Amino acid sequence: MEGYTGKILRVNLTDGEFAVEDLDPDLIRQYVGGRGLGTKILYDEIDPAIDPLSPENKLIFLNGPLTGTGAPAGARYMVITKAPLTNTIACSNCGGSFGPELKQAGYDGIIFEGCSEEPVYLWIDNDNVEIRPAIDLWGKTTHETDDLIKAEIEDKFVARDTQIACIGPAGENMSKLACIISNRNRAAGRTGVGAVMGSKKLKAIAVRGTKGIKIANKEAFKKAVISAMDKLNAGPVTHEALPALGTPVLVNIVNECKILPTYNWQSSSYENANKISGETMAATIVTKHKGCFACSIACAKCTKVDSPDFKGEGEGPEYENIILMGSSCGIDDLAAIAKASYLCNELGMDTISVGGTIATAMELFEKGYLTEKDAGMKLNFGNAKALVAMTEKMGRGEGFGLVMADGGAPLAEKYGHPELFMGVKKLEAPAYDPRGVQGMGLQYATSNRGACHVRGYSMANEILGVHEKIDPLVTEGKAAVVITFQNLTAIIDSAGLCLFVALCPGFLYEEVQGLLNGATGFNYTIDELVQAGDRIWNLERLFNKKAGFTKEDDMLPKRLLEEPAGPNNDVCRLNEMLPEYYKLRGWDNGFPTQEKMSELGLK
Amino acid sequence: MDKIRIKIDHSKCTGCRHCETACSSNHYENIVNPALSRIRVFIDEKTDQFFPVIAGPFTEAECTCKYDVIIDGKEYDECNVCRASCPQRTWFREPDTGVPLKCDLCGDPPSPNCVEICNHGALSIVEI
Ligand code: SF4
Ligand code: SF4
Ligand code: SF4
Repeated sequence: MEGYTGKILRVNLTDGEFAVEDLDPDLIRQYVGGRGLGTKILYDEIDPAIDPLSPENKLIFLNGPLTGTGAPAGARYMVITKAPLTNTIACSNCGGSFGPELKQAGYDGIIFEGCSEEPVYLWIDNDNVEIRPAIDLWGKTTHETDDLIKAEIEDKFVARDTQIACIGPAGENMSKLACIISNRNRAAGRTGVGAVMGSKKLKAIAVRGTKGIKIANKEAFKKAVISAMDKLNAGPVTHEALPALGTPVLVNIVNECKILPTYNWQSSSYENANKISGETMAATIVTKHKGCFACSIACAKCTKVDSPDFKGEGEGPEYENIILMGSSCGIDDLAAIAKASYLCNELGMDTISVGGTIATAMELFEKGYLTEKDAGMKLNFGNAKALVAMTEKMGRGEGFGLVMADGGAPLAEKYGHPELFMGVKKLEAPAYDPRGVQGMGLQYATSNRGACHVRGYSMANEILGVHEKIDPLVTEGKAAVVITFQNLTAIIDSAGLCLFVALCPGFLYEEVQGLLNGATGFNYTIDELVQAGDRIWNLERLFNKKAGFTKEDDMLPKRLLEEPAGPNNDVCRLNEMLPEYYKLRGWDNGFPTQEKMSELGLK
Repeated sequence: MDKIRIKIDHSKCTGCRHCETACSSNHYENIVNPALSRIRVFIDEKTDQFFPVIAGPFTEAECTCKYDVIIDGKEYDECNVCRASCPQRTWFREPDTGVPLKCDLCGDPPSPNCVEICNHGALSIVEI
């Protein structure tokens, strides 16, 4: 098999057994890999109604066929499981070098089942697989874990080549905002996948591989790689904006469009946006540009903060968390935002959800629903020290942090104001206000893992005009645009590419097809890939249906539907888009019809 | 062959390892494997320093005299950035056979694959 290794490692943590299994080539072809294939495996193997933190849940790490092959931005592994935060299907993906190394060791992925009694970590050196005790690692931060595992490896040159994915204290405490961290600062961030790892008492996976990945057609693949790189190098976002400033380039752009969540989405532009912009970040804290495996874009920014209150070093912050921890909390202190982000990486929490939850808490506090006594500190908007202190408490599960560590929805509920939670399906919304970019509202409402920007980034056309410039303020035609992005994203994710490639004009199915066919020799047609994207999206939907979701869950927070804001002083007119969306998807009552299912070969 | 040299500017390197994939797939039929690459990138994740190293000659034994180097104010064991195919290290030797790997300034006329793929200006060609 080419592109893939064709092998998956199945590890049962309850009895400490593992086995190497063959992947079914027909299934791979239908679901491409990564997100698609992982969802299929999970759908077939678990009952979607189970408790995500029970031993019955499975945790799947899976590469795409392009991961580690040298396809530009082909760095990604995906974590598929039932999400503790949302109770939906979860697929969080992560760059760095972990996925590629796992593939070099001979595995497309790993399925974890059951639950260990004592903390363990998995060691993989090609064919040598061991479940090792991790009692000494339990309680350690992600950075400490990385250091300690590497220090245990006798040969320091092997240690140097080893790649690690792990959880921090947040994952151990099963915080529903916990993520999985690899390469110290890259995260499989959203929906609480780190808590599943914690529930299984799996602290880390360390892998080293030297086996090589087979490529089906060297010449065709090389041609596709060069063509993809040429495209990326001609795109203003992928060649200029992201390499120079990283994702924070968006701060000023989004603020100018008046769609920047501010004061927990009470407003959609921020007077001090410039203080937290990508430009300011580059001029003050960025020390270096960094790239995931084989990435020709290199959007990651290494940063260093010297100010005595918030001293630290790490990667980021990224755009989304600058806004959720910054303007949405009324905070314009970039050093504090960076510090809170470093803490999230070290303690293993999703920066977006942490920011969103703190913003909700701040509004509860300002309105007098949450008292200083309860919170243990003053949680007023603009309180940078509280942002950092609360982030640390959440990560360590201390004091009121323990309450907040399960996200904004239960918090707002507990204090009697569920409407102050700004998210969908309990997932805190990312940093684009749909009252001024209507398609994103439809995307948040319909995304299978809750309010999420990386499941269908219609922003690319609505605001950035990447492939085609369309009017962000209208609802007409948005259903089709959102569906197109959702299906394409399912393919990009499943292939193992970084979604940022789609921020390059014309980087659509053709480019992905060229790379996939060169690597796998599958000779996919475009139609087949479009249909596979549709199939993956529909299968995720079916998972959610079995998990108990209904059409009513495709809903935005009241604020976005009723309180006007944004450039047009409008609300998000979801009801003008949703029926058309269902119709175009071939769904009845929010779910695929029998007819649609048989068209896609789904059961 | 001796008309060109490769220039490495480690300050521009992003640690992406694209060069490793390119070199390996250029030297082996339909295989991508950094472990078979004649260029490896030493990555210090704690300090975010990235050093591309291109394989030099084979040595039969590790050095008896070891030393540390200071680069950008940080101290490193020289073995991290050394270019020898040395028995004490994993790099620049075929993992299964131990056969040493050495950069052959590939391409005819030389058009080093690593330089071609590096998108960040860390590797360049100097004509002499
Ligand atoms: S664009 Fe950024 S996140 Fe995506 S692969 Fe490249 S460096 Fe990683
Ligand atoms: S391709 Fe260039 S930037 Fe990337 S690791 Fe190699 S030398 Fe560094
Ligand atoms: S010049 Fe060729 S052989 Fe030498 S390191 Fe670069 S790609 Fe490898």
